[in-house]
Amino acid sequence: MEIVVEAHNLRKNYEDFALEDICLQVRRGSITGIFGPNGAGKSTLVKVLARQAPAHGGTVRLFGMAGAEHDRVVKNRLGYVPQEPAFFTDKTVRWTARFAAPYFDRWDGAGFAELLEQFRVNPLKRVKHLSGGEKKLLALALALSHGADLLILDEPTAGLDVLHRRALLDRLRRFVADGGRTVVVASHITDGLDDIAEDVLFLHRGRILLSEDKEDLLARWKWIQFKDGALDPAIEDSLSLLRAQPYGNRGLIGDFTAVRHALEPVLAAGEARVDNASLEDILLSLVTEA
Amino acid sequence: MYKQVTDQIKEAIASGELAPQDRLPSVRELSEALEVSAITIKRAYLDLETEGYILTRAGLGSFVAVVDREALRQQKLDELRANLKRILGTGSRFGITPEDVIRLIRQIEES
Repeated sequence: MEIVVEAHNLRKNYEDFALEDICLQVRRGSITGIFGPNGAGKSTLVKVLARQAPAHGGTVRLFGMAGAEHDRVVKNRLGYVPQEPAFFTDKTVRWTARFAAPYFDRWDGAGFAELLEQFRVNPLKRVKHLSGGEKKLLALALALSHGADLLILDEPTAGLDVLHRRALLDRLRRFVADGGRTVVVASHITDGLDDIAEDVLFLHRGRILLSEDKEDLLARWKWIQFKDGALDPAIEDSLSLLRAQPYGNRGLIGDFTAVRHALEPVLAAGEARVDNASLEDILLSLVTEA
Repeated sequence: MYKQVTDQIKEAIASGELAPQDRLPSVRELSEALEVSAITIKRAYLDLETEGYILTRAGLGSFVAVVDREALRQQKLDELRANLKRILGTGSRFGITPEDVIRLIRQIEES
């Protein structure tokens, strides 16, 4: 298993905020989602990973390379889409690409034109007339047109309408389809990204709350609906986001795989029911308990 | 790398592609777009400012300055003159005359 992005004991301080003890590994060929509420430090983390901001401690390795020694190599292999991409506002999309092209050794102008068409962004439009979503897609097209095999995206779906969002998600899925390329995406909303992410990392107040394979995570976390008194008190105590509802109680359990056996009689008797949880449910539970 | 940024923006201004009052991206924005360090862009902007190509207004950002295109042209001509002088010097050491160089220029132009 090849590790494309690796952070070790990463630290970055601000006046009122700090990223601390960030350790992570991203496998080649995967899509890793970094999720967390606003202010969790996602943007700072992806900037540091993408070498757009220095860390105050710890190390980041991209493709096994640390520091500035392989700058050009890393730059060619990395595509970065910032949270709010901005360019020369009075110039056109096409001009923007011409301006950016010399900074990449493997620039593919034909590929760029094709992507714009796919994203329905008019190359003759001036940047100041693009919507926020179109600017994101322009940044994505730039990142995809220089032969990068690692994409790091900051809030890519924010501000996108439903068509643009689908185009972006499709493109990301295709990007990793052959197993050789990798995506790291940070977002405060899961908004379709929960579908495509394979590895999930939750960030809260500058720290990693959880980092896990999505399938494993969704197998562990379930909603349980139950009638009063139906559950073993120990299990009931372990539930989070507990709420009484007209048709019974509902709570989230984080170790379903461990209690599944114990729950079976109650489930068979129709006294309780199990539902799938979403990443957002799990994040909410972890953040409110943290 | 910062020289590349400086030259590219200068050329865009000299050619009129970037017009006076056109807004430049912030240092952070351009460094993100080109995937270069913010220090690189900051240095390029400082040079452009010192040379009068751009103006930076606190809180508002950087804009293309009203530049004298005739003066820019004169500056380029001076640069070319210096380059040509060097070329002619190199040529003369190998028996290449100014006429040979002129012929070369024509050839390049026609190709």
